[in-house]
Amino acid sequence: MKTRFVIAICMVLASLSINASIPAYADRGEEGEEEYMPPANDPLYKEECSSCHFLYLPGFLPARSWQAIVKNNDKHFGENLALDAETASRISSYLTANSAERSGSEWSGKILRSAGSGTPARITEVPWILKEHRKISKETFKRPSIGSFSNCGACHPNGALGDFEKASVPK
Amino acid sequence: MKSAISLTAALVFFTIFSGRAFSQMGPDIQALLDSYKKSAGVSEFSAAEGKKFFNSRRVHSVNKEERSCSACHTVDPTKQGKTPVGKVIEPMAPSVNKERFTDPKKVEKWFKRNCEYVLERECTPREKGDFITYMFSI
Ligand code: HEC
Ligand code: HEC
Ligand code: HEC
Repeated sequence: MKTRFVIAICMVLASLSINASIPAYADRGEEGEEEYMPPANDPLYKEECSSCHFLYLPGFLPARSWQAIVKNNDKHFGENLALDAETASRISSYLTANSAERSGSEWSGKILRSAGSGTPARITEVPWILKEHRKISKETFKRPSIGSFSNCGACHPNGALGDFEKASVPK
Repeated sequence: MKSAISLTAALVFFTIFSGRAFSQMGPDIQALLDSYKKSAGVSEFSAAEGKKFFNSRRVHSVNKEERSCSACHTVDPTKQGKTPVGKVIEPMAPSVNKERFTDPKKVEKWFKRNCEYVLERECTPREKGDFITYMFSI
């Protein structure tokens, strides 16, 4: 309880002052694993990829998935993003350089092993991610306060900072 | 006397802080509107038509769901909206959100995306002109 409080304080301080890319408040679990995901810190990625949804942290998908998502941006889940070639290439490079293979997060390792040789089209179809959320029903995801499984921030209030351990499902 | 002064003060205060005084169109957007006027062959746009367009609903041919501009931007453009994936959209009315309609490239990018999403085609210059005129009238 006490350590949780300290961690929470550190997180607030970190979000206020320390460069968010430093895992200063990484929650090291009992066995010393790093249960933390480096946040997304590229301005172009933020500008182009967070107007419609949560800014997904690059460590949640393998590089090959990100490359496919950016390449097929004209058919993006029913939207045509119409990115110009230069923008697409810069975003693809950023995501590739920070993908699950590179993030150093324990969760990324689980995602890579879970995806095997496949190329997941979404984070929410990776078997390990589905397993972690198996207790949450379809109806719950449809609540107006949530909207979609893809709306990570609705239940992970500090998700943008890399903390996905903290979770609370809104009514 | 005292009450007259405070009434005047209140009026001045109201005019300044009601926000309406600030929703001025920048030269870039004025130029964009002029180019729409030229293409549409009209001399004026209509805020009333823009409001109708903003609220009109249409069933998408593939998804079979009803779509409209106001579904995401809400029927009251001074309020925050929300995407289907749950992301908050800041208000569209420039009187409450000074960042709206300041960058013609951004405006065109979103017209292209959202018109395709709702209407399965690009918006006409007239629809775009009426829409922007409505937003600046609020
Ligand atoms: C015009 C709106 C829009 C923009 C801009 C946008 N997306 Fe999406 N994105 C969507 C929609 C809609 C979905 C599907 C969400 C759902 O199923 O609820 C989605 C889903 C995703 C998913 C899968 C989420 C999951 O469920 O695991 C990823 C990853 C993604 N987008 C990445 C990107 C990237 C990268 C960019 C920038 C190049 C981007 N998006 C820009 C609309 C958008
Ligand atoms: C409806 C609420 C909800 C949404 C939306 C949601 N999650 Fe979760 N998530 C949870 C809950 C609750 C848990 C904890 C499950 C448990 O402990 O049994 C969890 C667990 C996790 C974990 C495991 C954390 C750990 O400590 O091992 C990760 C990683 C995660 N979520 C990522 C995501 C991502 C990425 C998204 C968006 C694509 C997302 N979640 C969307 C509720 C949600
Ligand atoms: C699926 C949700 C959705 C629908 C439906 C939608 N929009 Fe949008 N719209 C957005 C999002 C997201 C943004 C970007 C918001 C931001 O920059 O904060 C946006 C931005 C815009 C902008 C850019 C304004 C600026 O200068 O910042 C315009 C113009 C616009 N929309 C017009 C329309 C019109 C016209 C329609 C109906 C034909 C429409 N939208 C329907 C989601 C939607």
